[in-house]
Amino acid sequence: VSTPRSSGLPARLGGREPAQLADVLERVLDKGIVIAGDIQINLLDIELLTIKLRLLIASADKAKEMGIDWWQGDPFLAGRQLEDRIKRLESEAGIEPNGGSRREVQAEDERQR
Amino acid sequence: VTGSAGRPDEGSRGSALYVYGIVRAGDEIGQFDAATQGVDASSPIALLREGELAAIVGEVPLADFGQDVVMERIRDPSWLEEKVRAHEAVLEAALPRAPLVPFRFGTIFANEEQVRRMLREHDHLRSTLDDLEGTFELGVKGFLEPERAAAEAAQPEQGEPASAGRSYLLRKQHDRRLAEARAELQMTLGTESHEVLAAAARDARANPLQRPEATGRSGDMFLNGAYLVEAARESEFREALAGLESRHGEAGATYELTGPWPPYNFVAAEGGL
Repeated sequence: VSTPRSSGLPARLGGREPAQLADVLERVLDKGIVIAGDIQINLLDIELLTIKLRLLIASADKAKEMGIDWWQGDPFLAGRQLEDRIKRLESEAGIEPNGGSRREVQAEDERQR
Repeated sequence: VTGSAGRPDEGSRGSALYVYGIVRAGDEIGQFDAATQGVDASSPIALLREGELAAIVGEVPLADFGQDVVMERIRDPSWLEEKVRAHEAVLEAALPRAPLVPFRFGTIFANEEQVRRMLREHDHLRSTLDDLEGTFELGVKGFLEPERAAAEAAQPEQGEPASAGRSYLLRKQHDRRLAEARAELQMTLGTESHEVLAAAARDARANPLQRPEATGRSGDMFLNGAYLVEAARESEFREALAGLESRHGEAGATYELTGPWPPYNFVAAEGGL
């Protein structure tokens, strides 16, 4: 049961469209009242993260479309993904036992299609 | 709301209380429906009243939000996006019902008693909430379209056919002049727009501009403003914005209005207890 506010808050602008991630991050991570809780989230780290995410944007997929992928090599953001990358690189390397490159294998596949 | 199963440093078992924001205890904000999911989707959102204030809280598992774990979790952009959006969604559900003081992401207490203690220590927020009554935060972003701005700038000089070297230098000079004119136009638009909007609002903040990668827009941002708008003066604010749009549309300026937001930009940072 909600009691509408007499002040008459306008409906969310832009209808049901979700807010842009950059706008939400900027507010939720950088603004709002800061009161120390019992669990400390290091705000310096969060701020650093915000700056990076701000560079990054709407979504990682969108960024990839735009050709922005530098964070994938960034140890701060990539974190545990690094392990996956190493595994992937290793398995890619494993595909070329006789000096044939993976690229050639793919090209071969495409020719057959 | 139940208490916590333990102190936050006890490892990954048990839970803690995540605080989204504060409202006045006397405001009838009603129940949060089950569709309003917090940062932990399985825990309901509730009000915890103490004196004249009430905290909007939800339980969070220490397996995600414990001291050692949460710093790891926030490094995962998709985890963080989900949690940050959930934080915002809870506050948006409360926003139309009562004035509220939004908390920054990740304010977590060990148990109910700790939240009550925080509310007692911050009883001055009652007057902040009274001041916020009848207001809401709107965001206005201003963008300058690249091609229009270029057309605004000086044309290259006409004259006798130039040598290749000279025409290269002229082109360089022209490009530099374009960039300067554009930067100046952005500065002017930003300053004027913010002043005009601020005059129609109770309070205003000009925030750092977002990069094109973050906005997903081709134009350059010249304004990233937040405005505390009084409901009684909402039409004045909208007219001020419409005035800017019609005055600067010709020069390639467009404006994007967002919100209403919880008043994130208008609650002072307290910097700890």
